Amino acid sequence: MSLLQEVWQAVKAIGTGMATVHKRVYEEAPTEFYPYVKPELPPVSVQSLALVENEDGSERCIVCLQCERACPAQVITIERHRNPEGKGFLIDRFDIDLVNCMYCAACVEACPVSSIVTIQDFEMSTYDLQTLKADIDFLHEQARRARQWYSPKFGVELRTDDGRIEKAPPEMQPGGLAEILKPAEEVDS
Amino acid sequence: MSTMNLEPVPGRTDEMIVNMGPQHPATHGVLRVVLGLEGERITRAVPHIGYLHRNHEKIEEARTYPMVIAYTDRMDYVSGTQNELPFVLAVEDMLGVEVPDRAKKIRTIFFELYRLASHLVWMGTAMLDLGAISPFLYTFWDREIILGIVEKTAGARMLPNYYTFGGVRRDVHPDFFKDVADFLDHMERRMVDYEHLVLESPVVHARTKGVGVLDQERAVARGVSGPVLRASGVAYDVRKAFPYDAYPDVEFEIPTSPDGDTYARFWVRFQEMYQSIRILRQLLELTPKTGPYKGRAPARLKPPAGERYRAVENSRGELGVLVVSDGSDKPYRVKHRGAAFSNLQIIPDLFVGAKFSDAIAILSSLDPVFGEIDR
Ligand code: SF4
Ligand code: SF4
Repeated sequence: MSLLQEVWQAVKAIGTGMATVHKRVYEEAPTEFYPYVKPELPPVSVQSLALVENEDGSERCIVCLQCERACPAQVITIERHRNPEGKGFLIDRFDIDLVNCMYCAACVEACPVSSIVTIQDFEMSTYDLQTLKADIDFLHEQARRARQWYSPKFGVELRTDDGRIEKAPPEMQPGGLAEILKPAEEVDS
Repeated sequence: MSTMNLEPVPGRTDEMIVNMGPQHPATHGVLRVVLGLEGERITRAVPHIGYLHRNHEKIEEARTYPMVIAYTDRMDYVSGTQNELPFVLAVEDMLGVEVPDRAKKIRTIFFELYRLASHLVWMGTAMLDLGAISPFLYTFWDREIILGIVEKTAGARMLPNYYTFGGVRRDVHPDFFKDVADFLDHMERRMVDYEHLVLESPVVHARTKGVGVLDQERAVARGVSGPVLRASGVAYDVRKAFPYDAYPDVEFEIPTSPDGDTYARFWVRFQEMYQSIRILRQLLELTPKTGPYKGRAPARLKPPAGERYRAVENSRGELGVLVVSDGSDKPYRVKHRGAAFSNLQIIPDLFVGAKFSDAIAILSSLDPVFGEIDR
C-alpha cells in the first residue's frame, strides 16, 4: 500500500469515527439520571420481596412452607404452630435473608395465596448487612410501603390511597393475562 | 508445581516472569496469566483460573431440579437464559415432557436476544482492550435495550430464571414482539456503525490481522468451540449439528473464516450477529401472538434413573450439561461443559511467541466469561 493510500485510510477512519460520535450525541440515551430521575421499572421486575397482609390487617400467608421448600438459596426460615382455635397454622417466625437471596422469585411462584410478592424497591444498599436479614415485621413494612407488587397468581396488585388493595387494570398486567385473571376471580367470589 | 508457577530457567537472565491479572482490567474479570517475557515477546504462559469459583456443580447436587435452573443462570452471567437451556432440555428429555411449539419459539427468541447482548458486550470490551472507548459506550447502550425487553417479560435483566421444564415461566409481555421488532430495526442501523468503527478500522486491522493464528487441527485437538472454532474454518455449530428448540424451523448460515487469526474471530462474531437478527426476524413471523407457553410438567419432578447429555450453542460455543439422576428429586450429578472454559485452554498455544500487547487482543477475541470458567 502506498503512503498516500495509508494516509487516506487513516483520515477516512477518523472521519467515520467522528461522524458516528456526532450522530450519537443527539440521540436519546436509554438510561436515566438515576438519583434525580427514578427509573420506571416494569411491574414484574424482581427487586425485593415483601409479605402482603390482607386489607383488614390479617395475615394472608397460610404458612404452608411452599416458599421455604422452593427457595434455591435456602434463605427462608419459617416456624409455625397449629392454631389452637380454628384450623390452619400461625407464624412464629418468618425470616428471609435478603443478603443471600438471589432474587429468583421461585418463592413467589410457589406461594399458593400470593402472600409473598416481588416489589420494585431496589434501593436496598446499606452499611450494615444485618439490616437486610429480614424478619416478618420488615417484610410487612416493605409491603405497606409498596404501591404495587406482582405475583404470578394474582398478577399486579395496587395499593390505593385509602389503603385498599386493588387489582391493576389489564394494560398494566404482564403476559399470560388469561391465567392471571382466572384465579383472581375465584378469590374475589 | 513448577508448571503452575513459572520458575526462572537457570542461566536465562533475559527472561522476566510477570503476572498478568487477576486484577488487570483487560483480563475480563479474574484471569491470572503468568507470563515469561523476553522483552516484548512472550516465551511462556500459564493461565490460572479459579478466582471466581463458587462450587456450582456441588451445590446443584443438593438442590431439587427446579432450583438448579436458578443456579445455572449464574454461570455465564453475560448470556442469561442461554445457560438454563441445556439443563432444561436434559431434564425434559429424561421426564419426557412435551414442549409446546410456541414455547420453543419464545425460548429461541430469548436465546438469540442474549446472543446479541453477549456479542455486544464482547465487542465493547474487546474494543476497550484495543484502546477504543466509544464502541463500549454504544454497545452497552444497545444491550440496555435488550435487557429492558427481557426485564419486561422475565422480571430480571441478567439472571432471569425464565426457562422452566416444559416451556417458559410466564407468557411474554403483550408488547414483546413489537419491542423486539423495533429493536431489530434499531440494531440493523447500528450494525452499519459498528462495521465502520470495528471491522473497517485500520487500527483494528493492524492490531488483529495475522495475530494469534489458531490452525484447524489445533483448534479441533484442543476442543475449542463456538466462534473461535468457526474462525479456524470448522463449520461446527450445535444449532445445526444437533438442532434443539425452534432452530430446525429457521434458516440461517454458519459463518466461517479460514484464517484463524484474531481478526477472523472478530469477523465471525460480527456475522453471527447478522445471523441472529435474521433468525429473530423469522421467529417473529413464525411465533403465534397468543397460545400456550408451558407444557405439562409433573408436579413432583423425579426423572427416572439414568443420565442425559444435552448441549446448546451459546454465545461462546458448545455449552453442555450432563445430568445424572438416581430417581430422586435431586440430581445425583450435574456436570457442566463450559464453552469459555474449553476455549481458554488454547491460551498457552496462542500467547507463546506473540507480543504482550497482542496477548490482550488475543484474549479479548476468545471472549472469556469467568463466571462460567470458574463456576
Ligand atoms: S427470591 Fe429466590 S432466593 Fe430469594 S427468597 Fe425467594 S426463592 Fe429464595
Ligand atoms: S408459600 Fe406463601 S402462604 Fe406458604 S408459607 Fe410461603 S408466603 Fe406463606
